[in-house]
Amino acid sequence: MKLAIKYNLSFILSVLLLSSCMNEAAVEPNTHRGNFESLWKIIDTRYCFLDYKKVNWDSIYTVYSAKVDTVRGELRFFDMMGSMLAELKDGHVNLYSDFNESRYWKWYTDYPDNFSSSLIKSNRYLGDDYLIAAGFKYKRIANGRIGYIYYESFAYGFSDSNIAYIMNYFSSCKGLIIDVRNNGGGSLDCSKQLASYFFQQETVTGYIRHKTGYGHSDFSDPVAMKTPAHKTIQWQRPVVILTNRMSYSATNDFVNRMKQSPMGIIVGDKTGGGGGLPLSSEIPNGWMVRFSSSPMYDAKMVSAESGIDPDFPVGLRANDEAAGYDTIIEKAIILIK
Amino acid sequence: MHNSGKKTIDQMRNYYILLLTVFFSSIIYAQNTEEQKYLLTTHTNTFGLSALSFIDPYLSPLTYNGIGIRYESLSRRFLSPENNTISMQSKLNLEAAVTENPATTSSMNYLGVNYSWGLHYHFRPVQGLQLLAGALLDADFGIKDVPRNVNNPVNMDMNTNLNLSGIAMYDVFFWKRTFTLQLSVQTPVMGCMFVPGSGASYYEMFELGNLKDAVHFSSLHNKRGLNSAFTVAVPFNRSVWRFGCGVNLLNYSANDMVFRKNEFTLLVGTTFDMATFGGRKNKAPRNFITTNN
Repeated sequence: MKLAIKYNLSFILSVLLLSSCMNEAAVEPNTHRGNFESLWKIIDTRYCFLDYKKVNWDSIYTVYSAKVDTVRGELRFFDMMGSMLAELKDGHVNLYSDFNESRYWKWYTDYPDNFSSSLIKSNRYLGDDYLIAAGFKYKRIANGRIGYIYYESFAYGFSDSNIAYIMNYFSSCKGLIIDVRNNGGGSLDCSKQLASYFFQQETVTGYIRHKTGYGHSDFSDPVAMKTPAHKTIQWQRPVVILTNRMSYSATNDFVNRMKQSPMGIIVGDKTGGGGGLPLSSEIPNGWMVRFSSSPMYDAKMVSAESGIDPDFPVGLRANDEAAGYDTIIEKAIILIK
Repeated sequence: MHNSGKKTIDQMRNYYILLLTVFFSSIIYAQNTEEQKYLLTTHTNTFGLSALSFIDPYLSPLTYNGIGIRYESLSRRFLSPENNTISMQSKLNLEAAVTENPATTSSMNYLGVNYSWGLHYHFRPVQGLQLLAGALLDADFGIKDVPRNVNNPVNMDMNTNLNLSGIAMYDVFFWKRTFTLQLSVQTPVMGCMFVPGSGASYYEMFELGNLKDAVHFSSLHNKRGLNSAFTVAVPFNRSVWRFGCGVNLLNYSANDMVFRKNEFTLLVGTTFDMATFGGRKNKAPRNFITTNN
């Protein structure tokens, strides 16, 4: 009996001792060095494109670690940390403090705008008398033969009712143009919902994975991202999607879905990318970091991070713009006719 | 005269018979009421003010500290009037808390509900002391929310556990009153829990249905907790109040993340016993007055 009690106690103690190994990851101290180490480690273990972009994160550590102890003041320290993150060349990577937000914008500033808001608000296109439903600005153009929608953010939600009214308004049109230039993204749910009106059957339009370990290529198995066909509202005539480099993130996802639509044609410039679903974390001084965590792919498992190529690459020509024409919209009108 | 005297004697005899009948029947009825046993359910409603700290690496690697409020409703009764060794307990715990990161640049809000049910065996080694030992099944649901996060603003606590439970109750006679000291301890032994992957978004889990590696078996190897409370029940003229404090320590890990919830709570509540009647077989005795009749 005593022996049994002894063995049972030994078992319980050993289990408790084993479970005592369950310790949280050490948190760095709230110093410049500690915050630098913390930020570097978050990216090292959780950012998803280090290998894809061939970023040598260890050498970046060496370069910036040497600067940490020489930087004076919060503003300069923030700029240094922001510069380190900018090495990732990712619009989904930001550092947020109470006084500033670091960002990398070269994914569109290094390229032509291919968009003029004053041009689309000219009388040839939207003019002053366009209609607005949820986030959509829309009007019949080209002598009423083409429906034109400008959608500037996937953060603006909409309902089936909005779409039903818009499609009814365009019922006499030969085709539809959806302009998502300068649309920086928003909700993936909105992207899926808008695409669903242009599919006749559920289609696998992409894949997503996520980081499962600390290794730069430790990813989960791909999970299919499907675009459903809306049950009652389906546009079954040509639909042209207009893109530029500022079509980013959820907009990139929308364009990727529309590539698979039987009615869809992509016209304009390559999209800006942003094919990594971002998550957030924070460092000891309370600054928040946003970083790409889940890489997304097209239907052929090609990464969407670098952007989606258009079916018809078209740029905004200066002489057209001077004459009041949007070269990309005009190309779309020709394709629909 | 003779007739009237006999009539008077008969009347007196009838009166005595009636009196004796009423007397004995009331004794018999009183004895029935005395012998009939009724189960009382002990209800304890407790409010608490807590100091908490959370570590949830899915939301943040930092420790969030703050305050919370808690309401707990506990009921306990024996399984049957004849058996005063096994009792049944159910407990509902509601909790809300607001916490902040060390730099106070971000807040984490918490809402939680826990329901547990189980049985205890009662030992009575000495007069005035009761030791309860048993097991409780619980279901736990909580939401932690860091509003400033992008795509991972929320993490859910969803788990179910088999817990070992021990309670010691000791009556102390002091100042013409009986104070009951109670120490309760509860620890999870095994169960299952939902823990998302550190890099998995709720979009992928719930919109695309990829819950792989999100549900885990839990036992002492990856989940360790101690939920304890010490209270003193103080009888007043018409009520019994409980005062005390509680300590709740919980530590669990999955998907290379270690989660922690530490809580210290000041408790105040009331305890009362209640008999419940209803249905065909559990009718209230006639000397219990109810508005239903």
